[in-house]
Amino acid sequence: MQTVLNLLEVEPIRLLISFGAVLFLVLNLAAVLTMAERKVSGYIQLRYGPNRVGPRGLLQPAADVFKLFTKENVSPGRSDLWVFLGAPIAMFIPAALVWLVVPFAPEAVVADLNVAILFFVAITSIGALGVVMAGYGSRSAFSLLGALRGAAQMISYEVPLILSLLGVVMLTGSLSLVDVVQAQGDTIWTWYFLPQLPMFITFYIAGLAEVKRVPFDLPEGESEIVGGYMIEYSGMTWALIQAAEFASMAVISAVTVTLFVGGWQPPLPFLDLGPFNWVWFGLKTALIMFTFQWIRWSVPRLRMDQLMDLGWKILVPVTLIWLFVTAGAMLVF
Amino acid sequence: MLGEQRRAEHEGALTEPASGRLASPDIRDEFGLETIDMNMGPQHPAMHGLLRLILELDGETVVRCDPVMGYLHRSKEKISENRMYPAVIPITDRIDYMNNIAMEYGYCLAVEKLLDVEIPPRADAIRALMNEFGRIMSHIPSVGFLLLELGAFTPILYAFRERERIQSIFEAVTGARMMFHYIRIGGVKADLPEGMTETMWEYIEGLEKRLQPDFVDLIGGNEIFISRTRGIGKMSQEKAVEMGLTGVPLRCTGVEFDVRKHYPYGWYKNLDFDVITDEAGDVEASYRVRMGEVRQSIRMIKQILENLPEGEVLGDLGRRLRPNEGDGIARIESARGEYAVHVVSDGSDTPYRVHYRTPCTVNMQLLQEIVPGHYLPDIMPIMGLIDPVSGSWDK
Amino acid sequence: MAVTLPEGDLQTRLARYLDGLNNRHGIEDSSVDGNIVLVWVRPEDVPAVLATARETLGILHLSFITVVDRQGSFELTYEMLDLRGGQVRVKTVVEGEEPVIQTVTDIYPTANWHEREAYDMFGIAFRGHPDLRRLYMWQDHFDHHPLLKSFEISTKRTFEGLR
Repeated sequence: MQTVLNLLEVEPIRLLISFGAVLFLVLNLAAVLTMAERKVSGYIQLRYGPNRVGPRGLLQPAADVFKLFTKENVSPGRSDLWVFLGAPIAMFIPAALVWLVVPFAPEAVVADLNVAILFFVAITSIGALGVVMAGYGSRSAFSLLGALRGAAQMISYEVPLILSLLGVVMLTGSLSLVDVVQAQGDTIWTWYFLPQLPMFITFYIAGLAEVKRVPFDLPEGESEIVGGYMIEYSGMTWALIQAAEFASMAVISAVTVTLFVGGWQPPLPFLDLGPFNWVWFGLKTALIMFTFQWIRWSVPRLRMDQLMDLGWKILVPVTLIWLFVTAGAMLVF
Repeated sequence: MLGEQRRAEHEGALTEPASGRLASPDIRDEFGLETIDMNMGPQHPAMHGLLRLILELDGETVVRCDPVMGYLHRSKEKISENRMYPAVIPITDRIDYMNNIAMEYGYCLAVEKLLDVEIPPRADAIRALMNEFGRIMSHIPSVGFLLLELGAFTPILYAFRERERIQSIFEAVTGARMMFHYIRIGGVKADLPEGMTETMWEYIEGLEKRLQPDFVDLIGGNEIFISRTRGIGKMSQEKAVEMGLTGVPLRCTGVEFDVRKHYPYGWYKNLDFDVITDEAGDVEASYRVRMGEVRQSIRMIKQILENLPEGEVLGDLGRRLRPNEGDGIARIESARGEYAVHVVSDGSDTPYRVHYRTPCTVNMQLLQEIVPGHYLPDIMPIMGLIDPVSGSWDK
Repeated sequence: MAVTLPEGDLQTRLARYLDGLNNRHGIEDSSVDGNIVLVWVRPEDVPAVLATARETLGILHLSFITVVDRQGSFELTYEMLDLRGGQVRVKTVVEGEEPVIQTVTDIYPTANWHEREAYDMFGIAFRGHPDLRRLYMWQDHFDHHPLLKSFEISTKRTFEGLR
C-alpha cells in the first residue's frame, strides 16, 4: 500500500493518474451537462424535460450514451475518412487538456504551470483545427460553410479573449492560475470581476463565442446550415463532438471563475470550508454554466457579419481601453 | 437508364452548371474565386415543409435562388374533380394545414355562389368567428417559427401553447383538432356547444393579456431580433404589387389591401376592424403586422360574440347538389393572403374543375426576387416574412 | 414609391373599365355582374387587353389564371383585382390539343408561376415566357399533364347510381 502511495510522488505517474481522474470527471460532466441542458430548457419552455428514465429522468444521460454506443457510425461516401474521423478527437483533446491547469482547490491542480494562462490560450485555439477538419472531411457544402464560419469566429474571438485576460495578468503579476486565485482574496469585493468589469463581460462574451453557444452558434446554425460541421457525424463520433462542446463550455466557465470570480475562494471569510473549498469552485462554475444555458434558450442567433462587428468593433476596443485604464490606475495607486 | 440519369443528377448539389456570377466580381476575379452551389432542402428544418432551394453562394452571399416545389404535391385539384361537391371539403382542409378553416370557407363560398343560396345569419357569424380563431391560430405560431429559424427555440413553445388552446376550442366546436370539416355548403356542421361563448370569451381575454408580455415585449424588443430582421427582405410597394403579393407580405409594405375589407364576404360586412399596415416592408414590419392582426382578430371575435344572431346554422339544400353550369369564384383573406377558389360546374354531381389560388404559391415567387444579395442566414427570416405552408404552395 | 390605388365610386369605376376595354380591343362579349367586369376576348388579344387593364386602367393585381380543359379547347380565365372592390375577369378560348398562347409575364410579373403551373398541368405553351419549366411535376421523364381530362386516374368514380 505504502509503495503504491509512494508511486504517486513520482512525477509522471502522479500526472497521469490525476489527469486520468480529471478526464473521468470531464466525461461525466459532459453527460451531466446534457441532462442539465435539457432540464433547464424544459423549465424555460413550459415543459418537464426528460422525466421517464430512472427517478425524475436522472438516468437519461446513461440511456443516451448507451444509444450512441450502439449506433452505427456512418461516414459519407466521398469523405476524407482520416480527416473525418480525426476531427472529433482533435476537438476533444484540447477541451480536455485545458483541465490540466485549472485549480479546483489550493492543492488540487494537475499541473501548477507558471505559464498556465498562456497554456490555456494556446490550447483553446487548437480547437478551431478540429472544426475545420470536420468541415473539410465531411465534404458537404453545409459542413464547409460551418467550418469556415467556425474558424473565422474562433480565431476572431481569440483576440478579445486574450486581451481581456491581460488585465488580470497585470494585476496579479503572474501567469499561474493558482497565483491569480490566491491574489483575489477571500472576500467577494476583492475579486477581479469588480475592478475588471468590462474585461469580465468581454471574457464572458468571447468565451461564449469560443465554445460556440447561442447567440454565437453560427458554425452549427441548425436552422440554416443544419448542424454545420457536425452534419455528417453520427453515433460515437457525434457524441465525442458533443462531449468536446460540453467540456469546453465547462472549461470556459471554470477559467472564468478562476480568473474573475475568485476560484475556490469563499465569498466571505467566515464561509471558509477549509479542505472543502472546492465546493465554492463547483458552485460558481455551475452558476456560470447555468447562465450559458439560460442565454442559449432565450435569444436568437447573430449573423456572421454582426458577429464580426461585435468582436472587432466593440469587444477589442473595450478591452484595449480598459487595459490602459488598468495600467494607469496601477501607475497612480 | 432512367435510374442512372436520376442518380447522376442528384450526385452532389449540382443540377445546373454554376453561372459563376460573384457578388463582388471586381475584387474577386483576380483571385480566381468561384461560387458554390448548394441544395437547401427538401429535407431541411427551416424550409416550412418540403421546399428545395437551389442556391448559388459566393461565400455567404446568395447569388441565385431557385425554389423547386412539388415535393408535397398531392394533386388536390384532380382529386376534387372526382368527388361530389360536399366531399371536396375535407380535401380543402389539407391545403393549408395551419389555417384549415379558411380553406373550407373559400370552397364553400365558391360553391354557394354557384348554387346561389342564402346562408343563415348565425352560420355566417359562426364562420367568421371560427375563421378569426383560425387566423390567430396561424399568426402566433408563424411568429414562433420566425424566431425558431433565427435560432431562438423557446418562443415556438409559447406560441404552440396558444395554438393548443385554440385547438381545444376547435375540438369542442368541430370535433377535430386540425382537419375540421366544419364549414359545410349552406352553413356550418353544428351549432356552438353549450357554454362555448363563455369559454371563448374567457380565452380571448386571457390571450389579450398574454400577448403583450409573451410576444411583443420579449420578442419585439430583443436587440438581436431587431438586428436580424430590420431591413431584411426589404421591398418597395411597387415590387410587392408587381409580384402579386397579398396578405401580410403586401400589407407590411404599406399597401392597404385586405379581402375582408375591400371584397367583403359573409359576416365581415357587419364587423368593424382596421387593416393593419406598416411602412417598412421588411421582416420586422411583417412581425408587427401579424401582431396587429391578432389584436384585430381579438376585436372581431369580441364583436361577433357580443351579437351572435340566433337561429338555424345549416340550410337544407337537399342531398344531391347539382349546380347549374357556370363559374363560381370566391375569395377570402386567409392568414397568408388572398385565397381564391374557382369552381367550374358542368351540371353534374362533381365539379368539372376546381382551381385553388393559394396565397403561398404566389407569395413564394418573392424568394427568387429578393433573396439574391442577402446572406445565407437571411433566407430564414425572409421565409418567415412570407410564412408559407408546404401543403398550401404544393396543393 | 407608393402605388396609387383607384378611388371613387365602384359603379363608375366598373363602367370605366368596361368602356376602356371595349373601346380599344375586339371584345367578343362583355357584361357587368355585381362588381365583376367579364369580357370574352380572342386568345391573340389577351396580352393587349391585359396591358390596357394594367397600364391604362390601373388594375394592378392579377389574382390567378385558371385553365379549364373543355376537351378539344381550353378555357383560360384571367382574374384581376383593382384592390378596391372591382374585378375584371378576362376569358378566352384556345383551340387545339397542344395550345399556344402569348405570355403575360411582361405585363404582370406575377403571372410567371401561374403560367408555369398551367403549362405543368395542361401543357399550354406560353410563348415568350422567360422560364417555362414545370412547377410541380418532375422536370424530366414525365410527359403527362395531369389535369387534362384525358389523363385517366385509376380510381375514377361515377355517381350515376346514387339518389
